[in-house]
Amino acid sequence: MSRFIVRRFLSVIPTFLIIVTLSFFLIRLAPGGPFAREKKIPPEILANIMHKYHMDEPLINQYFRYVGDVLHFDLGPSFRYKDHTVNELLGAAFPVSITLGVVSLGLAVFFGTLVGIISALRQNKWQDYAAMSVAVLGISIPLFVVGPILMLVFALKLKWLPTSGWINSRAGWTTIIMPSMTLMLPYFAYIARMSRGSIIEVLRSDYVRTARAKGLKETVVIRKHVLKGAMLPIVTYLGPAFSGIITGSVVVEQIFVVPGIGKIFVQSALNRDYTVIMGDVIVYSIILITANFVVDILYGLLDPRISYK
Amino acid sequence: MPTLAKKNDKVVNEFNQYVKPVSLWADAWKRLRRNRMAVIGMWIVGIYMVVIFGAALLPFKSYTEQQMLHVNLPPSFKPAGLVAMGQLEKRKSDLTTAIEKSGRVDLKTDLVRIEAEIIQLKGDIDANPVHKRVYIFGTDYLGRDMLARTIYGGQISILIGLIGTLTAAVIGIVLGALGGYLGGWLDNLIGRFVDIMYSLPYMLVVIIIMSMLPTGSNSIFVLFIAIAMISWLTISRVVRGQIISLKNSEFVEAARSMGAGTGRIIFRHLLPNSLSIIIIYATLQFPSFIMSESFLSFLGLGVSAPLASWGTLVSEGVQGMQLYPWRLLVPAITMTVFLFAMNFLGDGLRDALDPQSKNRS
Repeated sequence: MSRFIVRRFLSVIPTFLIIVTLSFFLIRLAPGGPFAREKKIPPEILANIMHKYHMDEPLINQYFRYVGDVLHFDLGPSFRYKDHTVNELLGAAFPVSITLGVVSLGLAVFFGTLVGIISALRQNKWQDYAAMSVAVLGISIPLFVVGPILMLVFALKLKWLPTSGWINSRAGWTTIIMPSMTLMLPYFAYIARMSRGSIIEVLRSDYVRTARAKGLKETVVIRKHVLKGAMLPIVTYLGPAFSGIITGSVVVEQIFVVPGIGKIFVQSALNRDYTVIMGDVIVYSIILITANFVVDILYGLLDPRISYK
Repeated sequence: MPTLAKKNDKVVNEFNQYVKPVSLWADAWKRLRRNRMAVIGMWIVGIYMVVIFGAALLPFKSYTEQQMLHVNLPPSFKPAGLVAMGQLEKRKSDLTTAIEKSGRVDLKTDLVRIEAEIIQLKGDIDANPVHKRVYIFGTDYLGRDMLARTIYGGQISILIGLIGTLTAAVIGIVLGALGGYLGGWLDNLIGRFVDIMYSLPYMLVVIIIMSMLPTGSNSIFVLFIAIAMISWLTISRVVRGQIISLKNSEFVEAARSMGAGTGRIIFRHLLPNSLSIIIIYATLQFPSFIMSESFLSFLGLGVSAPLASWGTLVSEGVQGMQLYPWRLLVPAITMTVFLFAMNFLGDGLRDALDPQSKNRS
């Protein structure tokens, strides 16, 4: 097991380097630099600015300088917000996005499995049909439709929840409700469908028949035998789900004005703030790689049939 | 596929039911028609296609025409002049109560202006034929017909979905088939590449590509290239798996022994046998393309004005949703219904084309 972890960890390094390289060159190839504005800057001053940010050096030198800095956890200064470093900008936003992501994923898994269990046990009854219709609806509605509609209904018409913003002393925790509900919806729907399918399959398996035959109560059979077997596909799905939630949070943060890394990402993409885009991509890929890594290990722990040799 | 036994010269399946020999497609079609949700989905998709691509032939107003007399009118079956009049009367009574109840003297000038507008409209309402128009989905902040805008927005969204799906399918099929059939270093190379692309935050890469472009350039074209470049991965994996499982079967060996070349084996023998799985993945990917496009357009990185897609319409609608909710709801609901129907159709196709369910009722 530990050998597997080490090997899995080593395989992460080239992926990470490729992501850094790819996004570095993609962004540098883009026309229109961060200093191209409506008001023309005198060429002498522009040259000075370029020199300060080492942008007058050959591209390959800039690349190695950047990779060196990244390995020292230094993402450089922001080109647009001159009194902030990228570390400061992202450091403040990172916990916000992670909280939102983890809360949404948690809600999606909890409600998804719950609904999945209910519709599997009531297969082809009205509960099943209702739950699965909600699930298809959840997959079909785009996030940026759900978000504004929730906002319209619960914040603007009913005035139950604050329209936007993030956890603070005045609004308390209520600000997290709508963003996380919006973000969890498609993943809740997928998990509900998947867990329904896998529970139905497990219910027909031999070991469940054995468990029933030895006289276990139905609740114990479900909890101890069915759920454990049915959780496996859900665990595999957690990796892609988390990456989807992280991407989706770009839009959700935009809608609900949540000060997370997604909002910074879109802003810097529109501003061509090179270092911030790069830093953001690096942070995102670290999150994704870590999530996939954790899922792989979890999978091994849950399924005794998988051996890491 | 379950092996079929013979009994009294007729074919039976493993439950001893007689089966008539039918082709995969006839069988799938039969099963698809029996799935009620899939049939409803198919009808809805069909109606959308007819309306959206027949829009030029149907009596819709132009999506670019602005009618400043009809700004932000709510959906209604009444002629626009009456609706506009109703809006003005309501505004007038609101202002009058505000002035009387709360003593807002500062609103007097507004009231005078509104009264002047009402008088002008009264004189105009019978003379000017534009007031006879009907906006069943209302108008937007520039007085453009929401119905026409939603239909033409759908054209862009669905075209991007179609072209994106085709591009992704072609790249995915070619690379998947070559990798799966030839194996070796090529397969390894494609496989590693797909692995790396999978671990990239996909939407973020598209955002970077979109933000690289100078604004106002040929953004739709680049948009679907950017999306298609990254979304062939799943199809190539699926096709590769299918080809590997087929490439050692007897019919391929037979073809090879008759002297068929690699290209012929792949395109004439292997791919037609993987067609069902390709169709399934393409139908499931189509709505996700539309989602991706509108996701980007919503962020302001996709389709740019004067063109509009469902995504840009929704994001425009969000701006004034408290006062003019129909501007959000019309495109949002139109789009959701389409995606809903596409998803049901995709699920139905998957169930229908699944070889496991052949010859079962």
